[in-house]
Amino acid sequence: MAQRSWSAAGAAAADDEVLVARFEVMARIRAFEVRVGRCFRDGHIHGFVHTSIGQEAVAAGACAALGPEDLITTTHRGHGHCLAKGADPEAMMAELFGRETGTCHGRGGSMHLAQADLGILGANGIVGAGIPIAVGAGLATMAAGEGAIAVAFFGEGAVHCGAFHEGLVLAVAWQAPVVFVCENNGYAEFTASAGRWGGPDPVQRAASYGLEAWPVDGSDVVAAEHAMRSAADQARAGGGPAFLEMRTHRLGGHYEGDAQPYRDEEELERWRAEHDPLAQLLALLDGRGCGERARSAVEAADAEMDAAVEKALAAPFPDPGGVLEFIGG
Amino acid sequence: MNAPAQITMPRLSDSMEEGTLLRWIKRDGDAVTVGEELAEIESDKATVIYEAQAAGVLSTAIEEGATVAVGTVIGWLGNALLARQLHSVPGRAAGRRKASPVARRIAATHGIDLELIDGTGPDGRVVRADVELRLSAPEPAPVLGVRGEVTVHPLTRLQTLVAERMSRSRDEVPDFELRVRVDAEPLSSVREQLKAGHAVDVPSVNDFVVKAAARALREQPSANATYRGDAWERYARVNVGVAVAVEGGLIVPTVFDADGKSLGEISRETRELAARAREGRITPQDLDGATFTVSNLGMFGIDGFSAVISPGQAAILAVGAAAVVPVVRDGAVVPGRQFELALSCDHRVIYGADAARLLSRIRDLLEHPMTLLVA
Amino acid sequence: MAEVATQTPRYIEAINAALSSEMAADDRVVLLGVDVAAGGGVYGVTRGLYDEFGPRRVIDTPIAEAGVLGAAVGAAMAGLRPVAEIMYMDFLTVCLDPIVNQAAKLRYMTGGGVSVPIVFRTQTGAGRSAGAQHSQSLEGILAHVPGLHVYCPSDARDAHDLLIEAIRLDTPVCFIENRRLYGKRSDEWDRTPLPAGQARVVRSGEDVTVVTWGRMVLETLQALDQVGDEVSAELIDLRTLVPLDVETLIASVQRTGRCLIVHEAVTRYGPGAELLARIAEAALFDLDGPIRRFGALPTPIPYSPELEAAAMPGVAGIAQAVREVAKG
Repeated sequence: MAQRSWSAAGAAAADDEVLVARFEVMARIRAFEVRVGRCFRDGHIHGFVHTSIGQEAVAAGACAALGPEDLITTTHRGHGHCLAKGADPEAMMAELFGRETGTCHGRGGSMHLAQADLGILGANGIVGAGIPIAVGAGLATMAAGEGAIAVAFFGEGAVHCGAFHEGLVLAVAWQAPVVFVCENNGYAEFTASAGRWGGPDPVQRAASYGLEAWPVDGSDVVAAEHAMRSAADQARAGGGPAFLEMRTHRLGGHYEGDAQPYRDEEELERWRAEHDPLAQLLALLDGRGCGERARSAVEAADAEMDAAVEKALAAPFPDPGGVLEFIGG
Repeated sequence: MNAPAQITMPRLSDSMEEGTLLRWIKRDGDAVTVGEELAEIESDKATVIYEAQAAGVLSTAIEEGATVAVGTVIGWLGNALLARQLHSVPGRAAGRRKASPVARRIAATHGIDLELIDGTGPDGRVVRADVELRLSAPEPAPVLGVRGEVTVHPLTRLQTLVAERMSRSRDEVPDFELRVRVDAEPLSSVREQLKAGHAVDVPSVNDFVVKAAARALREQPSANATYRGDAWERYARVNVGVAVAVEGGLIVPTVFDADGKSLGEISRETRELAARAREGRITPQDLDGATFTVSNLGMFGIDGFSAVISPGQAAILAVGAAAVVPVVRDGAVVPGRQFELALSCDHRVIYGADAARLLSRIRDLLEHPMTLLVA
Repeated sequence: MAEVATQTPRYIEAINAALSSEMAADDRVVLLGVDVAAGGGVYGVTRGLYDEFGPRRVIDTPIAEAGVLGAAVGAAMAGLRPVAEIMYMDFLTVCLDPIVNQAAKLRYMTGGGVSVPIVFRTQTGAGRSAGAQHSQSLEGILAHVPGLHVYCPSDARDAHDLLIEAIRLDTPVCFIENRRLYGKRSDEWDRTPLPAGQARVVRSGEDVTVVTWGRMVLETLQALDQVGDEVSAELIDLRTLVPLDVETLIASVQRTGRCLIVHEAVTRYGPGAELLARIAEAALFDLDGPIRRFGALPTPIPYSPELEAAAMPGVAGIAQAVREVAKG
């Protein structure tokens, strides 16, 4: 199979409307995540929260190629994917705040966000767990026969675990309509990923299972979209599963509160200066004369997410008397 | 409030050595505040409601019906956690009969003492079948003999004590008795005057006897004493016990400092004490501390009798009924009214002449009742 | 599957019949497992189903339990009603995550947003020298996790009815078979089907309550035959650990005053401890003696037959335990 890759050439080739639309989604994700960090520090968000600052283009680009019937699973770092798939930021923020009006009525929190009617089968706190789940979801969509596909988002740290291996084995065995999106952000928890454990890189690993696998410039939202569309179309047509390694940069810590002592300060500074996908796209849009629209989008996003925070702050907590609700059966 | 407060069997009278816990009013696990009624305790003198001296959650250490020495721990007042722990500590039950929970429950429901049941379970544990056997066993048929059916009435604590006291008195005390007849008319006359004057409390004949005895004892302190073996113990106060018949027994509440009290006060007090005694509201303090006792069976029409001296006292005065009898006055036989006084004395304390003096003095006071109205 | 005129179905046939009828009634029901398709299952439980329903409904899987169960969970969330097999209950350890962290919790974590209508079928059955890693009874671990139902049918009738109920339920159910029951017919196939959460009084008695489930019901019946008239024992088959019919159990103990809990699982920290606690909490003052448990010894199950028998509860041991509890 051909090794395809998309680069900045992708964005350069797209038209203004598309770019502005994608930028809007990315700005909304950024605005949400920045506030999540702040609210965590202020004590409104509890436990663990992992933001995806720096990775917005992957979520915005990949989800742009998906429809509401398509199903996604994501990880502990899944706010961006949920927002890009259409989840309501008010309900998401309320969930992070542990309120009754949250997407999961306060039962799940950040790592378990889900919205079944939007095809968001859920974030998962177990690394790799979403991979077989997505394969199974693909099995179901195949049975339904309406052309919907399943997408598993996961980090490059998941490629070592058993669930990754078994998920890909099953996807290939069943030729399930699944796209595996490996978001390689350079770090697996506290460890820099490149070459750390030896063995092949994610694309090579995946390819060895017998499915198509391509690296993608994850900082280029249009490249991400094109790659996903290509893989999704193939799956919808019965062409089986595919693997996309979207290379991007984690500009924050593993979780909020991670002081990142394991990272080189200078590298972090450089990444923030050189690899911020919003900054890159904004520069491009400025060059196209769409800078003002982009900035308004940022303002609108800020306002939208401020409102989400306000709403969440005012939302009621779940009644402790309902602690046993939703156990089922 | 971490360390629990111990509840010990209280000393309810100076002679009390042991008490019986008749009934827990508060139960295990109940929250108790200071002053709340805790248990019904039978002492050597009476049955008393014992109040909590501390606050906390109650853990009982003895069962209803148990008799223990004064000072024995009968329970604790602590926090709820302690109460639960105490209940789960098997050591606390050391000495308790081993019985299964259901056996214990059935026995408790029917008021059967587990101690009386043979256990056929492992290690002699009383099991349900054992209790059920006991329940189903018929009451032993009364033996019908020459005297007809014999029914057994176990003595109450009080009755047991009365029996013990009376026996001891007869065993130990060398008693002798003196008798006089008292002219009742002066007393009668004074009482009529009081009634005609609509006095609120008209003292009874017995009240006058109490006052007279108290006055006489004050004048003859050697009789206000007891024998100790190697000495006489003389009492500074003159406290006169007034015997009262109550249901199932006899109790003797005390009129303290009777010599210093007016007849009116004595009258009110004896009336109140008698009422309390009959209602079961008498306290140990009421029953304690008499130095002399007056016992009156006149209301039953008894001419005269000899009473048994109470331990700790030197004498007892028995009063009989007033009757119309022929008397000699100014050389003629005329109808008169008299009643009999019988003074029983402990010869170790009061000798004949002293006894005579005492009794005569009491008679004189009663035949000149106006002296008793003067302080 | 045609009704056999003279004989009622064996346990294995009852399961097969339940799968067949449910798959025919609802084409969302799919089976997954190693060798379940053409192979008909390693013990023959799914025989004939592949021929009847084809490869999209009866799905062979590689030996990748975590992945397969995870996929089954995903399929359940996306609209199918999977029945996923774990070949031996011992392999639960390999695939606990999709059961415990995913299936059991997804409905709750999403505040009711998704449901996971999945059945995890598995089997055990010590006593045939299958060794320590192919003989365990681990239903206690599963019963401990909120969000899972646990069914342990003891005969063909219950296997049939409980499996159908499990497939129709939207809650994840762990359906635990016993391979030493596969060949057995029910003593009472014609009895009224009972739902999950309803225990069955197999035999009435006055002196002791004996409670158990799974294959131990049969074993205990044989033990009670040995005890005979010595003890009037009441035998209760719990049938399902979750939901648990504790009321029937407690009502019985309140009458008899004595209880023996028998199970194939190891006694120590085993499922019997939960029952003992529940009885003690509700009926302490009705007990005439201590409650006892009789399960497997705390050892990996040995291979050599006599050793294995020594480690497991068996007819003679259960009989002796019944006699001791009646007097103890």
